[in-house]
Amino acid sequence: MTPLLATEHLTMRFGGVVAVDDVSFTVNAGELRCLIGPNGAGKSTLFKCLTGQLRPSAGRILWRGRDITGWDSFAIARLGIGIKTQVPSLFDGLSVLESVRLALRRETRERARIQAMATLDRLGIADLALRQVALLAHGQRQLVEFAMVVAPEPEIIILDEPTAGMSAEETARAARLIRELNAQHAIIVVEHDMKFIRAIAKTVTVLHQGRVLIEDDVERVLADRRVHDVYLGKAVAPQQQVTV
Amino acid sequence: MRSAFEIIAAIIVALAAMFMLPRILELFALINATVYVSMAVLALSLALVWGFGGILCFGQAAFFGLGGYAYAVAAINFADTTLAVPVALAVPALVAAALGYVMFFGRISDVYMGAITLTLTLILFNFVNSTAGDQWRIGAAPLGGFNGIPATPPLNFPGDPGNPLPPETIFLVAVFALLLCYILAKLTLRSRFGRICVAIRENERRAELLGYDVRFYKLGIFTLGAAMAGLAGMLFANCVFVSPTMFSLFYSGQIIIWVMVGGLGTLIGPVIGAILLNLLTTWAGTLPDINPSLILGVVLVLAVLMVPKGVLPSLTGGLGRLRPGSGAR
Ligand SMILES: Nc1ncnc2c1ncn2[C@@H]1O[C@H](COP(=O)(O)OP(=O)(O)OP(=O)(O)O)[C@@H](O)[C@H]1O
Ligand SMILES: [Mg+2]
Repeated sequence: MTPLLATEHLTMRFGGVVAVDDVSFTVNAGELRCLIGPNGAGKSTLFKCLTGQLRPSAGRILWRGRDITGWDSFAIARLGIGIKTQVPSLFDGLSVLESVRLALRRETRERARIQAMATLDRLGIADLALRQVALLAHGQRQLVEFAMVVAPEPEIIILDEPTAGMSAEETARAARLIRELNAQHAIIVVEHDMKFIRAIAKTVTVLHQGRVLIEDDVERVLADRRVHDVYLGKAVAPQQQVTV
Repeated sequence: MRSAFEIIAAIIVALAAMFMLPRILELFALINATVYVSMAVLALSLALVWGFGGILCFGQAAFFGLGGYAYAVAAINFADTTLAVPVALAVPALVAAALGYVMFFGRISDVYMGAITLTLTLILFNFVNSTAGDQWRIGAAPLGGFNGIPATPPLNFPGDPGNPLPPETIFLVAVFALLLCYILAKLTLRSRFGRICVAIRENERRAELLGYDVRFYKLGIFTLGAAMAGLAGMLFANCVFVSPTMFSLFYSGQIIIWVMVGGLGTLIGPVIGAILLNLLTTWAGTLPDINPSLILGVVLVLAVLMVPKGVLPSLTGGLGRLRPGSGAR
C-alpha cells in the first residue's frame, strides 16, 4: 500500500545547522503517529517542510506516492493537509466564527457557517463564536486554531504541541477529540506530555538532533533507555529542556 | 445589516452634498470641493489596498497620475471624453496588474514592495517632467513636460463631444463617483473575495495553510485600488488639468497621511480625513508665513501620538463598541 505521506532522505539545513537530517518516515492513511523529541530536535522544521513553509535542502516529500517537494503551502493544503502550528497562527482581528468559516474554503457561505458552528460545538467553544480571536485566553486560542484545522476535514492533520497552554480539562478534551478524529483522519501529533502520549498513541517516532532515533510501539519507545537519555539530557550536549 | 445602514447613510450624505453645495458655494469654491472629492476617492483607494489588503503602497499617486494622464491623452485623441473615462481606469489597472504580478508572484517582501511602488512614482514623475517639447506627444496630445496638459478637456455628455459639462455638473459627477466607489468597496469587503483579503491581512501564513493562494487576492485588491486611484485622477483632471505634480512625493505622502489620520482599516475614515485635511491645508495656505505642509506634518504627528489607530476608530471605539469580524465602516 502506498503510504499517505512519506519523506525520503529529507534534509533541512540553516547555514551550518542541520535541523532535519536525512529523515525518511511514512504515515499511512488512518494512522495516529506521535512525534516526540527534545527541544530543537527538528520537529517543527520537519512540519514546515511537509507543509511547504520551507523548501527542504535535500530529499523528497511524497503524497500518495506523488512528489510534492517544493510545492506552495496553499497547494499542499488543498491536497488535504492541515496543520496546527506550534505558535498559534490565527486571524487575530476576526471573530472565532469568521475564522472557522474561512477555513471551510470550499463550502458555500451558509453551509460554511453551519459547519463552523458544528465544529465549534464539538470543541466546546460555541459560546466564543462571536468573540474576537485576539481577546481570547491562550488555551482558547489553541482550540480556535484546532477548529480551523479540523473543520475542513483534511486527510491528515498535523498538530504541533496542540495542548501547550491548555488547562487540564481542555487537554483531556483535546486527547478525546484527537482519538475521535483519528477515526476519519490520519494524525501526526507532537507532544511533550508523556501521559498524553500514552493516552493516544500507537506508534511513536523519536526525533533527536534532526534524525530519527527510534520508531516503534509506544510502550517500547517510552521504555527505551536512549529515549530517556535524550529527554533527560544525558549523552547529549546541554540543550534547553524547557517545554514551551 | 450594519453595512446596509452605512450605505444608506452614505447615500443620504452624498445626496445632501449634491443638493446643497452647488447652491451655497461660489464657483471657485465648488471647483475646490470637486478637487477634495477626487482626493477622497484617492484616499478610499489606498484605504482599500492598505487598510484591508494589508499592502503598504507608497505609489498610489502613480496610479492617480496615470489615470489623469490617460484620461487627458485619450480625450484629446478621441475628441470625446466618453471612452476616455474607461481608459483612465484601465491604464492604471493594467500597470498595477503587471507590477503586482511581479511583486506578488515573485513573493517580494513587504519592505521592497513599498520601495518598488515608491520608485514607480519617482520614475513616472521624472519621466513626465522630461517630456517637454513637441517630440513628446501621444497622437494629438502633447505631454507638455513640467507644464502638464493645460488643454485637458472637461467631461462632455456621453457621446456628445460638443457639449462639455459645466463645473456644477462635474461636481455632481465627482460626488456620485465617490459614492459608487464607497459602495463598491463596501460590497467588495462583504464578498468572499474581500473577506479573504482581510484574512490575508490578518495572517498571510494562516491563509496559505488553509489553502488560499494569497498572491491572487493581493493582486486583485491592488489592481482594484489602482483603478479607483485612476478614477480619482480623472476627476482631478476635470477640475484642474493634468501635470507632473500628480505623481509627486507630495501627493504620495499626503495620501498616506489621510489614511493614517482617518483610520487605517476603515473606509469612511480616510475619506473624511482627505476632505478635512485638504480644507485645513487650504485654510492654512491663506495664513501669512505658515507653510501648509508644516501643519499637515503637525497633524500627522499629533494623530499618531494621540490616536494611533486613527481618528475614526478611536471615536467609535470610545463609544464602547467592540467589533469582532471583518466588517468595514
Ligand atoms: N529559520 C531558522 N533559521 C535557523 N535555524 C533554525 C530555523 N528554524 C529552526 N532552526 C533551528 O533548527 C533546529 C530545530 O528547530 P525546531 O524548531 O524544528 O525544533 P523542535 O523540535 O520543533 O523544538 P521545540 O520542541 O522547541 O519546538 C533548532 O536548532 C533551531 O534553532
Ligand atoms: Mg517545535
